[in-house]
Amino acid sequence: MTPETFPLAAGTPAGSPAPYWVLAGFKLLGFVLHMVPMHVWYAGMVLVAVCAFTRHAHAARLGRRLASAMPILIALGVNFGIVPLLFIQVAYYPVFYPATIMMGWFWFSVIPMLLAAYYGVYVYAGQVRGGRVSPLGRAAGVVSAGLFLAIGFVFSNAFSLMADPARMLALYERTSVAGAVTGTGLNLADPTLFPRWLMMFGLAIMTTAVYILVETRTAARGESEDYRRWAARAASRLHGLGLVWFGAMGAWYVFGTLEARVTGAIAGTPGLLAASAASAALPVLVWALMRRAAAGPVAVWPVAAAQAAVLIANAVSRQWVQSIELAHVFRPEELRVSAQWGPMAAFLVLFAAGLAVVAWMLRQLAHPGHRSE
Amino acid sequence: MHYPFWYVPGLTAPMLIAAVAVLHIYVALYAVGGGLFLAVETRHAYRTGNAAYLAYLRRHAWFFILLTVVYGAITGVGIWWTIGLASPLPTQMLIHLFVFGWAMEYVFFLIEIVSAFIFYYAWDRLTPRAHQAMAWIYAGSAWMSLVIITGITAFMLNPGDWQGDFWRGWANPQTLPQIVARTGASLLLATLYVYVHSSFWNGPAGLRAMIARRSARPAMAGAVLITLGGLWWHAALPASAKATLIGAAAMNLMIALIFALSVVVFFMFYFGPYRHPEWVSPGFAVLLLLIGYIVTGQAEFVREAARKPFVIYGEVYSHNIYVSEVPRLKRDGFLDGGVWTRRYVAGRLPQLVSGGGLDESRIPSLTEADQRLIGRTVFMHHCGSCHAASGYSGMREMLPGWTPGMLDHLIVNLDRYHFFMPPWSGRPEEALALRRYLETLASPHPVLPGAESRGGGA
Repeated sequence: MTPETFPLAAGTPAGSPAPYWVLAGFKLLGFVLHMVPMHVWYAGMVLVAVCAFTRHAHAARLGRRLASAMPILIALGVNFGIVPLLFIQVAYYPVFYPATIMMGWFWFSVIPMLLAAYYGVYVYAGQVRGGRVSPLGRAAGVVSAGLFLAIGFVFSNAFSLMADPARMLALYERTSVAGAVTGTGLNLADPTLFPRWLMMFGLAIMTTAVYILVETRTAARGESEDYRRWAARAASRLHGLGLVWFGAMGAWYVFGTLEARVTGAIAGTPGLLAASAASAALPVLVWALMRRAAAGPVAVWPVAAAQAAVLIANAVSRQWVQSIELAHVFRPEELRVSAQWGPMAAFLVLFAAGLAVVAWMLRQLAHPGHRSE
Repeated sequence: MHYPFWYVPGLTAPMLIAAVAVLHIYVALYAVGGGLFLAVETRHAYRTGNAAYLAYLRRHAWFFILLTVVYGAITGVGIWWTIGLASPLPTQMLIHLFVFGWAMEYVFFLIEIVSAFIFYYAWDRLTPRAHQAMAWIYAGSAWMSLVIITGITAFMLNPGDWQGDFWRGWANPQTLPQIVARTGASLLLATLYVYVHSSFWNGPAGLRAMIARRSARPAMAGAVLITLGGLWWHAALPASAKATLIGAAAMNLMIALIFALSVVVFFMFYFGPYRHPEWVSPGFAVLLLLIGYIVTGQAEFVREAARKPFVIYGEVYSHNIYVSEVPRLKRDGFLDGGVWTRRYVAGRLPQLVSGGGLDESRIPSLTEADQRLIGRTVFMHHCGSCHAASGYSGMREMLPGWTPGMLDHLIVNLDRYHFFMPPWSGRPEEALALRRYLETLASPHPVLPGAESRGGGA
């Protein structure tokens, strides 16, 4: 496969609005920010669904605390997800659009699925807050958890197909009618699909575990000491489970499915090798920190920082691997650039001002003052 | 052409955009106007020490969050999803030009979400001053979202003399009129949602009457803004868009209906809830909301239809090709000019391949079945954005009794027959193949009384 044999869309006459490193930087930043809340709802809703059926008092309590936070986490996750979605379209349009069009109906179905899952979470969280969860409420929680997993599967399909132009063409041949695609293709023949999907779930379990630890130590002061100790230990065990899962799926993905061309490139690129190694090794460090934090009154922020480093390493290595996978067909860094420095500066100024406003609002929340004012 | 075409039988893919966009706008406008309602009314409730009204506003804030933060936000993302699937080339162009505009809008979206949650969830914890500040921050950021997005969508209808520049493109001739009209629509729709919500609420009659009366004022202001913004919008249309609207009877009817309903709604509010607030019953509120939906939906439909034959005026045609590409496609062939269509045809009909491309002068030498395949492929990509084979704007339904000669003439003169259609963008051999395919769709001419004696019919 070469640029000559893959049908690449023509570039926009106006050119790319920023150099590739800027676009990739925004995409990575947005993706890391998106991953934090997304992971918590992705794996966390499964945990909530499991906890909904347990008779263990602390586990049920943990499930309720998680569920109560879900509406806000989902809102933030959807908001943060806009950034990588924007910049992936700017930088990777010739492969992103065809890949999603091939699976048009599945890609489109993400919206109703997300809507149903989101309302399901509200139903469940509302009942949790009301102190009485009905069978229907439990069902809503379980269905939401299932829908989030299904959405993750569609995403894995789209992004694995996007990085594999040869399979995209094969899917086009198989699902087109008079040259137009029916939008019913999935990238199921791709050996990287399932490990990618499941690896992300493992990573999500670990992020959820860290979230539970941090939430327990910082926001659950009203809970009993017994619950808080239990929750910290449960978070540590959950992280261990996620670590094993992530390790197994990651090994399957790297050693069992990646083409020799890609693994060779990883091995021959020191920066990528370091990012990949960090992505694999840092979770072990997080696990050790979690065990320590669960055993005694140790600050949890280093754990959160280490998990953030895991997510950054993972995002960087994925981005790098994606570039290698596509390099024989499409190199976004070679697109003609007509940089919009003015609008970009305006955005950055506005972003800084927006963060200041958000910080002020959060400060009002943290120091609410007196109602009698 | 530049991308694979998504075949949505019976409906066409762009109709999915219309469906998602209309479903989104019903709530997106409420997200703006409702924010202003909460800010103004919370301030009023605090100032007058009206605890019962504050309690109502809290209920309304929950309803507002459930609708706007969940449904509004997800369907907003849904528009992104759908335009990328159904109109990838214009989406590519818009996102390259306005990515930092969307990024700016994202900042306001973030502020909206944080302020909305704090406003509702910290209701009892914040000082009245901080609480009101949250509401005003929400209202301001929601309106700024509307302002930024409107500039980008208005660009598609009339970019003006933008010269490839972000700021000139955003501040196009359509931006201000549409901001005025949409601000009006958001005020009007917000009141309609407030009426529906409060009329189903079993609160004190006096309080409900106060809500009805106070909320009538922004609604009337909204109706005025819609009318003024609509007139200004029409004045700022490019000439071809005006011609499109004038030439389409349905469009004329819709525009007349939008203006008429706006005026009717104004007087309904004045003589109804403003002077007789006790009239607002659940039935009355639902009826008003339905009228609001009709006005808003039709306005969006007209706004979209006025763009034809462009998706981005003067830049990208509705069949997803750049305006500048037409001469080349007429010379070298429509199918050869599309990277995906070229690949598809080359794989199916290798006898057309010549020198790495397609030699479309060989099309007449193909079998009739192969010519029809070529014709269907041309139909999918050239016509399929607006016409289904059968269904929405379906060829089977639109061409009963058309003769081959009529079809031949229509195909190569699309923009002359209907100036809201893009120009024919292929070679004559492709036009012939398209005609052969259309013949397979065409149904017989309906027999009319006296037609036989006049020698009419197919």
